[in-house]
Amino acid sequence: MRIRLGAIAALAVAAWLLPYQLNSYAMHVVNVMLLYAILSVGLGLCMGIAGQINLAQVAFFGVGAYATAVLTVKEGMGFWTAAVLALLATAAIGLVVGTPALRVQSHYLGIVTLGLALAFTNWVTNSTLAGGAEGIPGIPRPTLPGVDLSSDYLFYYVELALFAVTLVFGLFVVHTSLGRRMRAMRDDSLAAGAVGVEVPALRMTAFLLASVYGGVAGVLYSGLIGYVAPETFSIANMFLLLAMVIIGGRQSLVGCVIGAISLALVREVLIDYPTYAQVAYGTVVVLTVVFAPTGLAGLPVRLRGLLHRRTTATASSGLTPFRPYDPAGTTGEPDAPMLAVRDLSMHFRGVKALTEVSLEVPAGQIRGIVGPNGSGKTTLFNVVSGLYRPTAGRVVLDGRDVTAARPFALAHAGIARTFQNLRLFSALSVRDNVLVALDPTRASGTWRYLVLPVGVWRRDRALRREADALLDRFGLAAFADNLPTALPYGIQRRVEIARAMAARPRLLLLDEPAAGLNGDEVRQLCDIVRSIRDFGVTVVVIEHNMGMVMSLCDHVTVFAHGAIIADGPPAEVAISPEVIEAYLGESMAMPAPVASEVQG
Amino acid sequence: MQVFLQTFIGGMSLGAIYALVAMGFSLVYRTMGLVNFAHGSVVMIGAYIASTFYLSVKLPFALAMAVAIGVTGLIGIIIERVLRPLENKDFDLMLIGTIGFGIVLEALAIIIWGATGRAVPSPVPAAPIDLGGLRIRTYDLVVLAIAAAATALLVYFLQRTKRGAAMQAVAMDHQAATAVGIHVGRSNAMAFMIGAGLAALAGGLVGPLLYVSPAMGGLLGIKGFAGAILGGFGSIPGAILGGLGIGVIDSFAAGQFQGYSELVTFLIFTVIIMIRPTGIFGERTVNRA
Repeated sequence: MRIRLGAIAALAVAAWLLPYQLNSYAMHVVNVMLLYAILSVGLGLCMGIAGQINLAQVAFFGVGAYATAVLTVKEGMGFWTAAVLALLATAAIGLVVGTPALRVQSHYLGIVTLGLALAFTNWVTNSTLAGGAEGIPGIPRPTLPGVDLSSDYLFYYVELALFAVTLVFGLFVVHTSLGRRMRAMRDDSLAAGAVGVEVPALRMTAFLLASVYGGVAGVLYSGLIGYVAPETFSIANMFLLLAMVIIGGRQSLVGCVIGAISLALVREVLIDYPTYAQVAYGTVVVLTVVFAPTGLAGLPVRLRGLLHRRTTATASSGLTPFRPYDPAGTTGEPDAPMLAVRDLSMHFRGVKALTEVSLEVPAGQIRGIVGPNGSGKTTLFNVVSGLYRPTAGRVVLDGRDVTAARPFALAHAGIARTFQNLRLFSALSVRDNVLVALDPTRASGTWRYLVLPVGVWRRDRALRREADALLDRFGLAAFADNLPTALPYGIQRRVEIARAMAARPRLLLLDEPAAGLNGDEVRQLCDIVRSIRDFGVTVVVIEHNMGMVMSLCDHVTVFAHGAIIADGPPAEVAISPEVIEAYLGESMAMPAPVASEVQG
Repeated sequence: MQVFLQTFIGGMSLGAIYALVAMGFSLVYRTMGLVNFAHGSVVMIGAYIASTFYLSVKLPFALAMAVAIGVTGLIGIIIERVLRPLENKDFDLMLIGTIGFGIVLEALAIIIWGATGRAVPSPVPAAPIDLGGLRIRTYDLVVLAIAAAATALLVYFLQRTKRGAAMQAVAMDHQAATAVGIHVGRSNAMAFMIGAGLAALAGGLVGPLLYVSPAMGGLLGIKGFAGAILGGFGSIPGAILGGLGIGVIDSFAAGQFQGYSELVTFLIFTVIIMIRPTGIFGERTVNRA
């Protein structure tokens, strides 16, 4: 920490003294470089942190610059008034460009944003308002009382200050609630929704952030250069920006800055050979994605990983026993259904995964759901937790109709779940995984970042303590800083349950929690589930391990072919003829031709 | 009505080009789930090679085209080979990797052929056909015919040949395909090669319609991609319909909005994608949990 602070102080002093070492041309280059750094941080926030592919960053840059130009030159406004309006305009455009992200992701989003960026250049090249291909010259330099900003040297300090503010704000976002939720959404948007992250609102926030950063850079650009023209905001520059972020390391804002500065420097060195520079940075982009996907920023970690490869094998030794919850006694009326599913059907085109399923789970029960593979168990969970919108039927949670509500709304209403194939946020530490679920912050509270950053910080510290207490309860304290993918399978399973419990649910859905666990781990799991129930949480568990179902569950529901074929206490269900048939087949009536086909 | 039909037909020939580009996108996407953002640049390289061999080496147009297809096929194989470690792992990274290739290809084109473009004369210099008042350029008909033939060949390959069937199998389930002894890497390379070949075909054909320049790839690629998404990404008939659709939208937008045609085309495209992300023939993708 001390070393880091020292390094930051040294960098700040170097940045402060830099203009004294440079001639006016070099000063200009550095000024432009800083703009690229601001743009890269914005793009890094959107792409690297929130995982939203954004190929329109250069258009945000352009909107900021052009808006300032039009407002000052054509409308005769003062620079700073124009700057504020330009920022607002960019933010608005950012929200418009971000809307497709609500519907499409990944490559679709890439092409849509790229298309919109092209639409922007097309508009400015044709519009008379934007000066057409010639652009708008004669933008006045901004003025500050007492400072002569017409000098590139002094303008540098304005840029430097704004760069520092935007970088620090970006880092603050990344390391607190908002950034954590964005990273969770990037790693696994389904699981993020299931723990209560408002995915749509956060996607918009990501574009909003990117556009504001683009706007800041744009405003500064128009003030610095005094002239805007379409080619500055071309797709070629978009790809250059992308290369900066990728080469620097998209998941680290500092990496983005390093990428921006080094690429801008390289471009300056090769200024007489722009096409060769292009070949070079294109090649480096390809090499980066293949060999060092975390970019320059990820290199130290990778090198350390190579050196310490052998010492990570002993990870499982730190697991401590689960400390049971304090029993909460009875919550509400004992027999009121916590979950009621009524005539639920779910069809995927022709495939009927569920047909008119009805079941009720009373509060405080451990309900087992068993059935052969493909019998619709997980589909039921997916409908109840809001991943699928049912074809027909209703889902009622504690007397409230929650059919087809969004996953995050259901998480807020008190449903938590785990996934059959483990969906932990792979690039977040175990603590952060739990923190995302623990965090009650809503997207509507994002304004606090602007007004009350200290409050955000304090709240985050309190949450962190809570998360550590929870990890301690689940015996996971030793792994708080590990990445989940580095942990043994059994521990990952436990982390997922801890994460689900962090959301303080009333109803917990466990999808095959014992899959891949050994006998000892299964026993521990049973203890955990019982304690969770005693704590007042209703549990529904899908499981194939019949021994566990028999001993753990109060009541068992058996599925086959998307319908319920038996329902009752475990001992009764196990001897039901329908259940035996569903599991073992009707052995006596096995048709002969099937056997011969198998042989042939 | 006259104007409407004329605009429609005008859009068809560029639409056929977009359809070829879209088919290349779709073929690669369905086999390996990768969107090749370098595809537009491959189209541009194809256009340059075809025009170079046609204009400078004076080969017949068809032969020049064949050379272009061969060279770009090789480029396709190289791209696939380099990005193979990322296959089925991280699609976003792979997408960015192809953007990197696009940047390199475009710069190489500038180094080899210069930054200024060139015009390619039409290989069939006959006068336009007059059909009840509608004027149809003969070259447009050639483009449509070649595009149709290429589509037919591709469909035949995918459905009637063993290698084509193997590619389909990889598209459906690459693990199961490995299990039955299909070399997935080789199959993907083949998809990439054919995709690049289609790109060269599109590039060669578009030469006489547009101006051949290093910057042409971006727009052609994006519009072809838009066509592929419009039709339903990964679907071959969808790619054809989508490509033609984008061509026609483009042509009408150019008639109505002149300089702003691109703006309008992309706005329409964005709205369509938001309403129906899966396109016309697209499979409804289901989130698996």
